[in-house]
Amino acid sequence: MTKEKVNGATEEEQQAQSKKALKKQQKEAEKAAKKAEKQAKLAAEQQSADEDDFAKDRYGLSAMVQSQQKLDRALVRVQDLTAEKVDQLIWLRSRVHTSRAKGKQCFLVLRQQQFNVQALVAVGDRASKQMVKFAANITKESIVDVEAMVRKVEQKIESCSQQDVELHIERIFVISQAEPRLPLQLEDAVRPDGEGEEEGRATVNQDTRLDNRVIDLRTTTSQAIFRLQSGVCQLFRDTLTKKGFVEIQTPKIISAASEGGANVFTVSYFKSSAYLAQSPQLYKQMCICADFDKVFCVGPVFRAEDSNTHRHLTEFVGLDIEMAFNYHYHEVIDSITDTMVQIFKGLRDNFQTEIQTVNKQFPSEPFKFLEPTLRLEYTEAVAMLHEAGVEMGDEDDLSTPNEKLLGRLVKEKYDTDFYVLDKYPLAVRPFYTMPDPNNPKYSNSYDMFMRGEEILSGAQRVHDAQLLSERAHHHQIDLEKIKSYIDSFRFGAPPHGGGGIGLERVCMLYLGLHNVRQTSMFPRDPKRLTP
Amino acid sequence: MNGDVDPAVKALEARQDEILRKLYELKAAVEGLAKTVTTPDADLDVTVSSSLSSQSSSCAIFKGTTNLDALLGEDLGALRDIVINANPAQPPLTLLVLHGLLCQRYRVLSTVHVHSSVSSVPPQLLSCLGPKHADSYARHMFHLGFTLIWKDVPKLEMKFSVCNMCPIEGEANVARFLFKLLAPYPSDPALATLVDSWVDTGFYQLADGSTKERAAVLRALNSALGRGPWLSGLEFSLADIACYCCLLQNGSASSIAANVQGWMKSCENLGHFGPAKLLLK
Repeated sequence: MTKEKVNGATEEEQQAQSKKALKKQQKEAEKAAKKAEKQAKLAAEQQSADEDDFAKDRYGLSAMVQSQQKLDRALVRVQDLTAEKVDQLIWLRSRVHTSRAKGKQCFLVLRQQQFNVQALVAVGDRASKQMVKFAANITKESIVDVEAMVRKVEQKIESCSQQDVELHIERIFVISQAEPRLPLQLEDAVRPDGEGEEEGRATVNQDTRLDNRVIDLRTTTSQAIFRLQSGVCQLFRDTLTKKGFVEIQTPKIISAASEGGANVFTVSYFKSSAYLAQSPQLYKQMCICADFDKVFCVGPVFRAEDSNTHRHLTEFVGLDIEMAFNYHYHEVIDSITDTMVQIFKGLRDNFQTEIQTVNKQFPSEPFKFLEPTLRLEYTEAVAMLHEAGVEMGDEDDLSTPNEKLLGRLVKEKYDTDFYVLDKYPLAVRPFYTMPDPNNPKYSNSYDMFMRGEEILSGAQRVHDAQLLSERAHHHQIDLEKIKSYIDSFRFGAPPHGGGGIGLERVCMLYLGLHNVRQTSMFPRDPKRLTP
Repeated sequence: MNGDVDPAVKALEARQDEILRKLYELKAAVEGLAKTVTTPDADLDVTVSSSLSSQSSSCAIFKGTTNLDALLGEDLGALRDIVINANPAQPPLTLLVLHGLLCQRYRVLSTVHVHSSVSSVPPQLLSCLGPKHADSYARHMFHLGFTLIWKDVPKLEMKFSVCNMCPIEGEANVARFLFKLLAPYPSDPALATLVDSWVDTGFYQLADGSTKERAAVLRALNSALGRGPWLSGLEFSLADIACYCCLLQNGSASSIAANVQGWMKSCENLGHFGPAKLLLK
């Protein structure tokens, strides 16, 4: 009895098993059939693709440009793509800012520095399906060479800098391919902070930008900022050269700290040590004593100040001026302020594109100034601050908040973002500052402010070796350490004065930005040494 | 009584002579002034006016004293700077005249600036406050600052103490403020109102009005000047300064009546309207 039962059971099992097996087989067969079908389809497509890709030669990945040949091809700049070029067939090289496929078309935005233009690859007699697909798959930031027809558009393309035309692409080649995963998206990097918060879209924080500076510098805003900065340097040089100044180069490896011992970088110098110059002060003055009369220099300045603020860098570009004068140090102030006004005018008149580009991401009030520059005396500033309720002594230095408040008061009364504060108290100035002839409490020194922040500290210098030694002694400075400096004044020295500005800070304040790292290409601060 | 004269009598006689001498001087001075008012071509005799008072001649026309500290607030040891923002398309002639008067009364540091909202101004607008003062490098040595800024503003405005004062708008109002630094308005309220009324008439109807309005004002001026030498009666006031400048600004009307012509000559004889005329050349 049991045997039969077992047999029966086994039989059932066997039947079940075979059913399962059958099902399994069926499934596998289906799978195999599908796979075969797919493969056949692919093969067919591939065949048809190969057969149908009439545009095969009009797109693709170029071989790396190793100067294989010298092509006599003119490449048009994106900023020149205006209505004038309509119906012309042109070549250009640019980056792919975005590419987006939509059915039988692919829309691209091609970008070159501050300028971008819309471009289109459409299936037709010039482009195949495969070409459109290729274009849509080009990674962002890749550099491409494009041959296209310039076509007029009926409605202005608001999102691009070139609003009146678009490109109809006939050939597109990738010259340098970008890796697909970018460390930051350029669209995010250009997005104003407010907009990012409102619409929930990403913006890029400063550290990420600075860590990937090469890509961050490609944004339209960065391009505009550094072009403007180049303009500042250019205007500085041109204005001073016209005034008869000579450009000099001063050493940056020096034997003694110039401004005071604390904030100086030490470098090992063979068997001993040396310092990185905190300012070209001493050498500027020596040039005056060497009869160069009026000098300026543009070069790096190193300050080992452990300040992590929005306006301090450990290395920045100093624009310094020094000049001999005839009878009164106001001749120096007039020269410096006129130079600054010429720079402001030059920026106002020639860099509006750049200023507007920066304002799109970082809106701010346009920079205002007076000509000639407003000059207030320290006592007036103290009076204004007293009137506004601030308590400070006549000989106190201005704290940063007081400087900012004063800036606002001056802006309110005179409507200027740039002014000079003259006759600072002697006690708060460096030892080489010339004291006021009539009032020993004050000095022939001045600061200049942009948007309420200090950009220049200057003065008439003590050009008499005797007085200089006395002043140094008063400030408890070791005369031995500054012997060569004092010696420069022993053999006839003209009365002279000057001052220096920081390029990054001036650009930041002119544009109304809030962090000096935005105007420094590869900023250095206590926490950052790369890139 | 013998031949000797009592020294007391001598002293009395000396005093009498002195008083008579002063009276004759005063009479000559008054006659001189009267001449400038009644005879259009007579110039103010400088020798006469210099004996009138220790202050400079032209300021003697303003009676009453003013105290800068009382008007502008305590002197905090720093320059008290009056800032005026004016559009270069409408130079404020009245204020230039008042500036000239202020300079005679006080040590004024005058500066002209061009604001960045304006690309350039003609040279006469840069020199309209006169040559730079020799001591201008020391701001604290001056009683008052007069800072004129040529700026793209819709309406003229004056700023002084940003913490305590709101800006003053309009040339008429700024003129009133500046005038009061020179002399108080008449204490008689009716007279003060008359002065103010002429100031307004000048700025709103003579300078800004239609041809019809201007003609009406000229007629009113003529009849008012028939009753007295100056617009508010016997004394030269802001009314005269304002109306003269507004009339000047509009070029010559087709025909100016006799009284108005005489009055205009008298104004010119006072010698303060030089800056205004210079600018219009």
